Amino acid sequence: MPIYAPTLPPRPALDQGQPPALVMLRFDLRRVLRLKLGRFFGFAFILILLIQCVWLYAQYLMGSNSAFATLKPLAEQFLPQGAAFQAKLLHPAMLSLLWLQVALVGGGLVARDTLYRIRPLLYAHPVSRWDYLTGKTLFAAGLPLAIQLPYILLPWLLSLALAGPRGPVWLSAPLHLVPAALIIACLMGAVTLGASSMASSPKAGFGWALGVLIGSSALGQVLATALGDTRWMALNLGTLTDAWPQLLCGAPGRYGLGWGPVIAGTAAHLGFWTWIAIRRTRPSEATQ
Amino acid sequence: MSPQILSLQRASLRYGDILGLSPTTFELPEGGGITGLLGPNGAGKSSLIQLLSGLLPPSGGELRVFGENPFRNPAVQRRLGLVPEGDRFPAGFRGDRWLRMMGELSGLSGAALSQALERCLRLTGMEVHGRKRFDAMSKGMRQRIRLAQALLHEPELLILDEPFNGLDPEARLQLMALLHQLAAGGTRVLVSSHILSEVAQLTDRILLLFRGRLLAEGSVPEIRELLDRHPVELRISAESGLAVARWAVEQEELVALRMEEDGAVVSVRNPKRFLPRLQEAVLSGQLQLRSLEPLDLDLDSVFQYLTKDNA
Repeated sequence: MPIYAPTLPPRPALDQGQPPALVMLRFDLRRVLRLKLGRFFGFAFILILLIQCVWLYAQYLMGSNSAFATLKPLAEQFLPQGAAFQAKLLHPAMLSLLWLQVALVGGGLVARDTLYRIRPLLYAHPVSRWDYLTGKTLFAAGLPLAIQLPYILLPWLLSLALAGPRGPVWLSAPLHLVPAALIIACLMGAVTLGASSMASSPKAGFGWALGVLIGSSALGQVLATALGDTRWMALNLGTLTDAWPQLLCGAPGRYGLGWGPVIAGTAAHLGFWTWIAIRRTRPSEATQ
Repeated sequence: MSPQILSLQRASLRYGDILGLSPTTFELPEGGGITGLLGPNGAGKSSLIQLLSGLLPPSGGELRVFGENPFRNPAVQRRLGLVPEGDRFPAGFRGDRWLRMMGELSGLSGAALSQALERCLRLTGMEVHGRKRFDAMSKGMRQRIRLAQALLHEPELLILDEPFNGLDPEARLQLMALLHQLAAGGTRVLVSSHILSEVAQLTDRILLLFRGRLLAEGSVPEIRELLDRHPVELRISAESGLAVARWAVEQEELVALRMEEDGAVVSVRNPKRFLPRLQEAVLSGQLQLRSLEPLDLDLDSVFQYLTKDNA
């Protein structure tokens, strides 16, 4: 038994802090908030949100103010009301920009740790690989979810404030769109995490994530054309993210994809990329 | 028998078909002290460190750290500090913020974390520079931050993988002094290096690894004695090569002799006895020496010799 001098201070109490996954999530969040790129995307997303809110207000004015009433038929040509309007609160343009952002930010999540050899150090602490993956997944999926929520909730609140329950945005819109945002966020998180775990530097991670996005689109297009079946478009990640708000709001999709192909495509991507991330973040991989 | 802080009983490690560490057996007693893990690149030092720090399970044999299997064992990892090899850090980050995260991952929080952070920055002499970003730090500073992260939770066993790589002599001496201080305070320190003189300055207890197997274990004098049995090649340049050859063949330590234009290359056993005789010959005027150059005293050749010796 070691004999400790009575004057030595006691060892610090361990097991006191937050779970390791949350510590890593906070660390990644702090890192992203410091990025100049984050400011650029912040500006772009706020701009899109502002345009949506202004458009929503214009819709309200055209319905309620006789001075704008003559413009209403013209506006409806651009923006038909109903389910499609609700689904487009998560607009495809915004989702494309979001894909680009999560590829840029998420592509470096695991790859940065590979480059700086941080994982062996983390795993030498009381941090399991599940802690590590949970922390990274929370960030990779949490970021796109946090960005999408204002696109659902702000127009909804604005519509409620302007016109009450009979406004242009359905009263039940969040019930349709928040689950869609959650699925999209999980999909984006899994893909970027998987892509990032294949790369050895953040730039390569971004390349992988973008490559997967473009590759899935090309694969879906080729198979759909070659086999004459548009359901293969459910392999396209961009199509999947566009399809979920449309399906959940009951709007017709671009390729007429039903629930079956969209669920299968989403499950296939989620499963495959999560499996890749799990395999590539094992402690034995970290030591190589 | 004194309790062991770590013990390996024929513990081995394989990476697929590649043998990282052959079945190895050794023990380290509890209590403070420094043990050097010596071996050339590819000797298996990092493999052994990965086993001890619980990153990988042994492929065979038994490994115990603090009496437990260390593989992904939080109870062991809480008592162990690892300073891995390399000098890579997330460039834009401040040292103290990174240390804070590492402290939190070790289970520290609140006032205990702040106190630990302050103590480790002071101990490593980084109170002022610790708040700099990694890309604004010197290599020595980053090494100290790396050491500070391993000390935050006051580990009983501290493992350092090639900590002196790339450090200037001053930073090297400071790090050695710090490791001595930690060992005197009751921490068991295990330091890997491929430079014999470096380890010899630091500790008296050495584990010698070569090509994935433990070649020798003992004190520095014991290892030196092993090396003395190694025929050492010396290039002796003198006024007359013939005179050198004539003198050398009379020495019983001589194993081989090769003539050169202005001297000779001699291969001798037990240089401890041979060199004082050479000195005497020069002082007595028997030899007009210009230079003396050891040709194969590098660690690689020593290891190769020991491998042959143990084959």
